Amino acid sequence: MKLRFSKRALVATVAVAGLAAAGVMAPAHAATRSTVVIHETNAFTSLNTGTPDTNLTTNTDITYLTGIGFNYYDDKKSLIKNTTFGSYKISKNSATDFRTTWTIAPGRVWSDGTPITGEDMMLGIVLNSSKYSIKAGLGDPNDEKNPPVFNSISYGGTFDSHVVGVPTLSADKMSVTIQFDQPIPNWDLFGPGVSPVHTIVALANGKTSLLSASEAAAAKTAFATAVTSYDTATLKKYAKVWNDDYNVTKIDSSTNPNLLVGNGGFLVSSAVTDQSVTLKPNPKYNSGPKLSGGIDTVVFRFIADGTAASQALSNGEIDLYQGQATADAVSQLKAMKGVTVVGGTSSCYEHIDLRTNAVQGSKDVYKGIFADSNPAGKALRQAFMLAYPREEIVSKIVKPVNSNAVVPGSTFVMPGQSNYGVVIAGNGSAKYSTGTQEARTAAALKIVKRYYPNASASNPVAPVRLEQPSPNARRAAEAALVVPALAKAGFKVTAVPTTGWSGKLDNTEWDAEFYAWCPSAVTQTGTNDNFLTGGGNNHMGWSIPELDKALRSLESVKSDAAVNRDIITAERIINDNALSQAIFQHPAVTAYNSTLKNVKPAPLSPTLVWNYWDWTY
Amino acid sequence: MFAYIMRRLGVLFVILFGSSFILYNLAAISGDPLEGLRTSSEPSAKQQIITLTRELDLNVPPPVRYFLWLRGILGLFVGKLDFGNARNGQAVSTLVQHAIPVTIRLVTMATVVAIILGITVGIVTALRQYSRFDYAMTFVSFLMYSLPVFWVAVLLKQYLAIRFNTFLSNPNVPIGWNIVFSCVTGIFWAGVISGNRKRVSQIFFGVALGNAALLQLLSTLNWFTHPGLGPVVLFGAGIGVAYGVTQISVGINNKAALRASQTMALLALISYYPSQYLLKHSPHVSTLLLMLLFTLLLGAGVGRIFAKIDRGPIMRTSTLTGLVLAFLMLLDKLMQTWFPYLSTDAVNGRPVPTIGQMNALLDQSDFWMSTLDTLMHLVLPTIALTLISFAGYVRFTRGTLLDVLNADYIRTARAKGLTERTVIMRHAFRNTLIPLTTIIVVDFAGIIGGAIITESVFGWVGMGTLFRQAIGSFDLNLLMAVFFITASLSVLANLIADLLYSALDPRIRVGAGK
Amino acid sequence: MALFKRKNVELASADASENAIANKETEGLSQRQIVVKRFLHHKVAVASVFVLVTLTLFVYTALDFKLGPWKIHGWWKYKIEDIPELRTADCAGGNVGCPTWSLRPKFLGGAGIGFGEHPFGQDDIGRDYFALVMKGAQRSIMVMFIVGIVGGTLGTIIGAIAGFFRGTVDAVLMRFTDFVITIPSIIIGSVIGFHFGNLGATFLALYLGLFSWTGLSRLVRGEFLKLRELEFVDAARVAGASNRRIIFKHILPNAVGVIIVTVTLLMSGAILLETALSYIGFGVVAPDVSLGLLISQYQDSFTSRPYLFWYPGFFIIAIALSVNFIGDGLRDAFDPRQRRRLTLKDRRVGRAEKKAVE
Repeated sequence: MKLRFSKRALVATVAVAGLAAAGVMAPAHAATRSTVVIHETNAFTSLNTGTPDTNLTTNTDITYLTGIGFNYYDDKKSLIKNTTFGSYKISKNSATDFRTTWTIAPGRVWSDGTPITGEDMMLGIVLNSSKYSIKAGLGDPNDEKNPPVFNSISYGGTFDSHVVGVPTLSADKMSVTIQFDQPIPNWDLFGPGVSPVHTIVALANGKTSLLSASEAAAAKTAFATAVTSYDTATLKKYAKVWNDDYNVTKIDSSTNPNLLVGNGGFLVSSAVTDQSVTLKPNPKYNSGPKLSGGIDTVVFRFIADGTAASQALSNGEIDLYQGQATADAVSQLKAMKGVTVVGGTSSCYEHIDLRTNAVQGSKDVYKGIFADSNPAGKALRQAFMLAYPREEIVSKIVKPVNSNAVVPGSTFVMPGQSNYGVVIAGNGSAKYSTGTQEARTAAALKIVKRYYPNASASNPVAPVRLEQPSPNARRAAEAALVVPALAKAGFKVTAVPTTGWSGKLDNTEWDAEFYAWCPSAVTQTGTNDNFLTGGGNNHMGWSIPELDKALRSLESVKSDAAVNRDIITAERIINDNALSQAIFQHPAVTAYNSTLKNVKPAPLSPTLVWNYWDWTY
Repeated sequence: MFAYIMRRLGVLFVILFGSSFILYNLAAISGDPLEGLRTSSEPSAKQQIITLTRELDLNVPPPVRYFLWLRGILGLFVGKLDFGNARNGQAVSTLVQHAIPVTIRLVTMATVVAIILGITVGIVTALRQYSRFDYAMTFVSFLMYSLPVFWVAVLLKQYLAIRFNTFLSNPNVPIGWNIVFSCVTGIFWAGVISGNRKRVSQIFFGVALGNAALLQLLSTLNWFTHPGLGPVVLFGAGIGVAYGVTQISVGINNKAALRASQTMALLALISYYPSQYLLKHSPHVSTLLLMLLFTLLLGAGVGRIFAKIDRGPIMRTSTLTGLVLAFLMLLDKLMQTWFPYLSTDAVNGRPVPTIGQMNALLDQSDFWMSTLDTLMHLVLPTIALTLISFAGYVRFTRGTLLDVLNADYIRTARAKGLTERTVIMRHAFRNTLIPLTTIIVVDFAGIIGGAIITESVFGWVGMGTLFRQAIGSFDLNLLMAVFFITASLSVLANLIADLLYSALDPRIRVGAGK
Repeated sequence: MALFKRKNVELASADASENAIANKETEGLSQRQIVVKRFLHHKVAVASVFVLVTLTLFVYTALDFKLGPWKIHGWWKYKIEDIPELRTADCAGGNVGCPTWSLRPKFLGGAGIGFGEHPFGQDDIGRDYFALVMKGAQRSIMVMFIVGIVGGTLGTIIGAIAGFFRGTVDAVLMRFTDFVITIPSIIIGSVIGFHFGNLGATFLALYLGLFSWTGLSRLVRGEFLKLRELEFVDAARVAGASNRRIIFKHILPNAVGVIIVTVTLLMSGAILLETALSYIGFGVVAPDVSLGLLISQYQDSFTSRPYLFWYPGFFIIAIALSVNFIGDGLRDAFDPRQRRRLTLKDRRVGRAEKKAVE
């Protein structure tokens, strides 16, 4: 024991001697910050986001910083034209020949100094058109046995169905014109896309350094020629590059510089597998809004666990956090010093659907309480919707996360969009939102009593089976609120927690289902698949001819006012038949280092980074 | 013996084949890999379904698809092991190649710390069975064993990272904390050493006051932002180490060993500046290895000079002392890197990170900075993992040692008049190590399978994270790769454990009863 | 019996007097009596039994208890399905649904000693957290016992048979054990979850039990391999005892120490395993509730509404700790070679006796 005392004393004495001599240096001080560290849930897997494997949030966010095109979505879901980069217009508009022309402003350059020209818009047709792919001998995207050589995610959909031939390059090679066989609504979303095609050629030729100006020009011509002449062999070579070469997770000085060429405000400078990607400003950037200049490094850091990410923010390891936070995480974030919390919404919205039939084309028959075949079906659906506790769900489950949350009055248009007010004024949603919930529940009970005379608030008898997606804490809480609330209107709801729920949506066992849709763009026809008879996402067997007619009418080019009129017509039918109601928009919480300015989270991809050029300290 | 091993290996392959077949089929029917796409409103969803079906052979029934997978695995024998592609198109072998070193780095440190601490505490509690210290340690280890790891992680991050980093911006230990720390330290040492009431209170007050004074001193000197040992402290500590190591290794009465160890401390003092110079100007792993070799040679040499008889133990003692001192010197160098590390823009005055394996912003070209960075990122996960596996080792060591201490040969050893130290260190402890070794082997293999939760809460992408990812997204190839590696390791480890057990303990024959 | 033979040898050792004291206590007692007596001396273990029994009764009587057609009403006013009004007014710091239990009497400005309306507070949607914690504790205790019983029985039987019969039986059983070790139980869980929906906590516990016996069986096998070579086994065999009798009456009691410790570790491990599974979404599924599910759901409430984090955590720790201590006590009680710690009183008495003898 003596030893221990003497040792301690010795340590103390010596510490005085040693450290006093060293003297007290200045305390640590933080340098002016010019770095933004952004949290992402998943790891970075590729610089090419166009394949089914790599079309992931992290990849699209990062490539958004390294490349910019003709337009982008802002935080109000409006499509903003990037006039610095170029312009676009309808150049011909007839019933069978519809053309759009896309022109790049002169002087725009890639980060390697090569000018951006019309040839750079020629890759799109190869990636988007099944007809082109088949004609060029590059495989048939719709045939499992003959897969497309370009492993592109973009085949199928409006562009693919209506595009004609190959886009034509103008004489000055600064614009291309795309031809369609009919007018296309939201045609401005179906542009040609811009990519540095000279680097694809360079990579295909095995180059490991950047091309000279003349080599680049030759490469561009070679690429455009290969596309317009349906040159199968050459295109296959390019396909290999496009499919595989961009899939890198580790980037350093040994990475082929041709992979990193872009026209965005930042360029990838390094990446550590599964950990982070670092970007530095692009000195030659002139394709979009001016950079604020306050940021000289952007780092994307991958953290899968939400709690871990918010603790990392409070420890100063990240500057920008976005996630589906819980109420507690939000109050924890709010309590942090130097952290600003913005409650917002993601593009997802939760909705409750009621079944009317089995899905078209299935052999099942739906004979449940809400069936069209049941004379009381429609009235009971209305009663169910009246009593559905949407406000209670929003106030207890959503508001603690996003205090601005409201119950949406439409499934076509969400609060915050410019036409939201117009739509809900006329779409008949008022029926389910006027008065108090108590009054609506009482009205619902009256309806139920008509068909189930012994029903009462204490004796719920009208049987409803509700599919509850599981495992999911928020959905469990929703179900826990729904069951007693609907019991007050005489409904005996059985909420069934279901794993693998999405594969079981068509099951006629369910009278009601609630889950979320997450649209990635704002289009006129975005919800058609959900409501059309036999639509791919119509899991409740809805089939109403007038509704189909209104939805079909949205499939043509028309003015905003005309679009709103069609939406109102469609929604009036949906509300009158009590098919579907939106419950809430999924909350998304953004929290960031308060010294960072101009962070404006947006609901649509690329949510947080859409205005990276404005960020500054 | 050889035949036995070959037979076991043969059976091992059969087991792996059987369980992988069953698992593959079970996993294939455990969910729908296209689930997310089916409810997607994206226009490209149908396209993606076609692509994924093709890439993952989803139209082939699972029992047949298993053999497609097996073909890739059997490539092992021709040097072309192919685990297939993960859902996101990345080659599974690449993913696994990245994950294994991460898991090993994460787990090795924690396991080593847990084993050392666990065995030490286990021995002390066995020797002081039913003492207050024994009860306290039993309580503490069971308590740690009862804590969910993600819970521990949240608490550790809050207190050891966020709060500690904030403390560093104004590094003065508040008086309240100082009192608490000092009391806890006092209680701990009083418990370990124990004795009659007077002695216990003496120890308690002595240690607590010493500790309080030291903490106060360190905070006045800004030691927490400018740590370091310096040659004088190093020498002082060296003398202490010399006494300690000698006591444990051969007993303090062995004067030759004590002299040798003290000489090592003196040599450390002399070589302080030269070695600092070397570490600063030649920062490579090779330098460290050379210094290690030098220390070993020096230790052995000094031991040999002092030893008249019984050279082995004395050389061992002086070498051990040398190693501890070399470690302290290295620690000193890292401490000197602390302040520059703190002041970098990347660290921004907050050195204890809560996530990740490295700081992406830090310039990794400086050897000492990047070493310190790696170590700092290991701190929290290591503590968390150590806490949960600590209890097992403590209980096991305690139990085994108690069993051994009751054995006849221990009584014989005591009867021969050997000192208690010799009886415990040489006779009892060594026999305790036999079952411990086998347990450790099995543990290690199990742990490669990944600390699923620990990895994900600390943002490390190792085998556990891959496994969780695979299950979450029904990624069959990824899942099977993780399974194949962990299952092979665990079956192999059980075999090794069995062989080791029989090799260490001659009373047990493998394949007995034939 | 072999046990006493060993004791007799010990008498010869240096500290014979202490042994004499210890031995004296066991004179004329059956083994069961010795075990009980030794166990009662382990105060912490005894306290743990008390805590565990009280806790179990407390949580199981709190809520309605249904067994077939019978239903016993619980003493607590809320059920987990109830959704009372979410309180907002009387909580500090803008929180909602804070706990109401109080130990501060009214005359000191507190709410009075008692539970109040929602002793542990309310969750996000207003459910009574006390009721949730009680239900969760019921689930966790049940999971723990089922895993302990299933895993313990399987592990003991398989290990005992393998170790006793050796040879082919041993090889087959041990390779079967290896086989089970390789299969991650989480996969089985997700297969079942996907195809049969949520089958509830009982089922979860059963299949966890079916996968948790491997470690135990290896240990028991080791013990049996060792014990079967000892003289008393030969003696029993010579006396004509059947294999079954030798396994269960002669060897098993001697291996019981190892079994008990492992099973208690297994049981407290089961609580944590369930917690971990719930955390990654493969454990108990809402609307059912377990302590693990609660604690993982509210892991980030630690700074804002710490009570949602601490109460289930407290119950997990209390249950796991007491089970471990009981195991510790049982181990010491069953281990025939272990000497009890001598209290000061024993020593005094011993010294006095020694003097008297001299």
